[in-house]
Amino acid sequence: MKYDIFFAGVGGQGILTIGEVLAEVAHYKDIPANFYPSKGMAQRGGFVKAQLRLGRENVGPNIPQRSADMVIAMEQSESLKAIPFIKPGGDFVLYSDIWAPTAVALGKAPYPTFAQITEQVKLAGARLVHIDPGQLPEYAGELVHANLYVLGVIMGQTALGTLIRSEDVEHIIQTRFKRNIEANSFAYRAGLGMPLVVS
Amino acid sequence: MKKLITGNEAIAYGALRAGVKAVTGYPGTPSTGCLSSLLAMNLVDTHVEWSVNEKVALEVATGVAWSGHRALCTMKMSGLNVAYDTLISVAYSGCDGGLVVYVADDPGASAGMCEQDSRSFAVMADMPMLEPATVAETYALTKFAFNLSERIKGPVFLRLVTGIADSYAEVEVEEPAPVSQAAPLLIKDIQRYTKAGAVIATNQHRDLIQRLVQAGQITDEAKINKLTLSNKPGGLGILASGIAAAYLEEGFEAAASFGFNREDVSTLAIKVVHPFPAAEARKMLAHCQTILILEELEPLIERGMVVEAQRMGYRGKITGKLDGVFSRIGEYGVPQVVQGIESVLHLGIPENVFTGNTQALKLAAARPITVCAGCPHRGTYIAIEKAIKKLRLKKNEVMVTGDIGCTILGMNPPFDLIWTEISMGASLGLAQGYVHAGVKTPVIATIGDSTFFHAGIAGLVNAIQHQIDLTLVIMDNRWTAMTGMQVNPGTPCENGARTYQEIDIARIIPALGIEHFWTVDPFEVEETTEVIRLAMTLPGVKVVLARQECAIQAQRQGKQAGKVRVVEENCNLCKLCLMVTGCSAFSLGANAIEIDPELCYGCGICIETCHHDALVAEVV
Repeated sequence: MKYDIFFAGVGGQGILTIGEVLAEVAHYKDIPANFYPSKGMAQRGGFVKAQLRLGRENVGPNIPQRSADMVIAMEQSESLKAIPFIKPGGDFVLYSDIWAPTAVALGKAPYPTFAQITEQVKLAGARLVHIDPGQLPEYAGELVHANLYVLGVIMGQTALGTLIRSEDVEHIIQTRFKRNIEANSFAYRAGLGMPLVVS
Repeated sequence: MKKLITGNEAIAYGALRAGVKAVTGYPGTPSTGCLSSLLAMNLVDTHVEWSVNEKVALEVATGVAWSGHRALCTMKMSGLNVAYDTLISVAYSGCDGGLVVYVADDPGASAGMCEQDSRSFAVMADMPMLEPATVAETYALTKFAFNLSERIKGPVFLRLVTGIADSYAEVEVEEPAPVSQAAPLLIKDIQRYTKAGAVIATNQHRDLIQRLVQAGQITDEAKINKLTLSNKPGGLGILASGIAAAYLEEGFEAAASFGFNREDVSTLAIKVVHPFPAAEARKMLAHCQTILILEELEPLIERGMVVEAQRMGYRGKITGKLDGVFSRIGEYGVPQVVQGIESVLHLGIPENVFTGNTQALKLAAARPITVCAGCPHRGTYIAIEKAIKKLRLKKNEVMVTGDIGCTILGMNPPFDLIWTEISMGASLGLAQGYVHAGVKTPVIATIGDSTFFHAGIAGLVNAIQHQIDLTLVIMDNRWTAMTGMQVNPGTPCENGARTYQEIDIARIIPALGIEHFWTVDPFEVEETTEVIRLAMTLPGVKVVLARQECAIQAQRQGKQAGKVRVVEENCNLCKLCLMVTGCSAFSLGANAIEIDPELCYGCGICIETCHHDALVAEVV
């Protein structure tokens, strides 16, 4: 099994945590892995990316363009930065949250529409799995952590779910986060059970 | 035990396995994680410190090594420039205990400094340099580096690039070795430990060169570089330095579908980047008809290969950067392996195999890095802007030099205030130069607290000595924040625990004889503005210490500066608050501006920007 995942989002969304959980699952199941998070100079709200390479011994950290089996993007505009990396036929998972930069909020700069993203994903020949932030469920009156929900969707709706076992992912979630164990499992399982949304 | 660790942590664990006695360094992306992981372990027998700068860090480590114990010194490439004066001299003297200098380079400049190739420093210092291709190799090479250092009796470089320093991978980590409790050697030998006189210095130079030769012999015997010759001579030989070797097999796989045959190729994965592995290179030259060199940044290995080829009368072709095939800019990956194979074998591999849909990038919204919600620097930037305005000047008329760290973020919108960024402490010297050049408007230098301690003090002393008219604004947020919250000499000791002596900048400045000195709270923008305005009108060196703790760090300790509430009925969505502050806690609601309570630190800077009383401070 060789499987490459490219992550894109902004600091504060917990997108790097998805990569860390998957890297720990690989470690737990003795799957060779290299996880390369790249925060650059990003503080909260800045661009972050990461690359997870599963199944190769002694692998270089960078995924070549047109080669990622999956993209996980959690911010609408930043998802565009992942498009060069998706493999034709790969899964492009987009949680279409919008973190508008100040210039956009002030109306001084454009922000890409969802339709533009869809078009670019199509041009790249990938399969879009769209997660609407509006569908994020609540647990005990509060919205669940989006990253764990997204992780659930990925395990339920992409090829990754056939390569690693969902119970191993849940095991790592439960051992990694000592607090809110029930809420975390709820978020993950809610994502896992999300009806198939593919375009 | 198998652990999932970063390259930085692999060095930390490797050093512990080597029984390291002391670890010193200065934070710098991407090297920071090595020392910070050791600090978090609260080690008893190993001294671990963030030093005031890299030069001092190296001197501390050297003292340990000269006493016969093992020491590790960590820094990013810019830090090596600072430490280099000391290092080149230490290399001459050699050492008794193992001394390993870890430097992290950043091809691709993801952390935003120079794409400096520190391998050239190894050449200039005549020091061996080891560079792994993966995280797992990093651990093994760290242990080897200490042994090598002790065998040659000289310091050894260990170099990582960002992609390895920050990558997590599985490593078989052993138990730490016991730290030697042997009495320190006290060797009095001016022939080794001073440079006074040509005889001493040239003798040391001779010994240094001999140590490098010996290092080459040891690394050859240990087969640190991996040479694999093809069964049949005459084919292609690939030299891959450091991380480039990690992409070879994947590149071969990709090229295979175009008729490339792995079996026909010889490879040399280079992990000893200095001294040049001449013996292995000569075997390669004797065996192969064509040579391809894969190395990021400068053509260092390539030059070594060209020299060996010339000495051997090699008639084949050597492809790399010198013949224009590869760029000296950015990271390498699988595409470079394939491109290199194509350029020498002409298999007909199309150029776009690894070219994705890049037109998408043009649609992405620009996201300039900016200060966090609640950042005290925001108040200082706004105050400087207002002071400039009050003096009837424009922002593009007033030179505001900048420095390294979070304080540079004032260069971006909405502030667009800071003009320059060179190196640690450079804001001060540069500002003086502008004054000497005859700039008539007031010149302002800005610097953070850690940067001030690191290299800013010398620049300030120079300005005072030469009686320069300038205003220095020290933005003291009490932490070395940009690299992820390290302590510096000015950081308050936590809970009064005296693990180190805190040094107060507010006591240093008057001691330098500065007459005009103020300490202000940057959350009090009006007061800060008035102080800076006044400072800009006075002669000589004036210092404004804008002091307020980093909001991220304060919030982690459960602190909150206050609370700001939106009075919805007063808000007309003019967005002025957002325009002035650029604060990420704001978002646009349907009828009024909204504040994210989780992000807002309650600094209150936005309150004064509102002309409609739509933002009010709540009593907490």
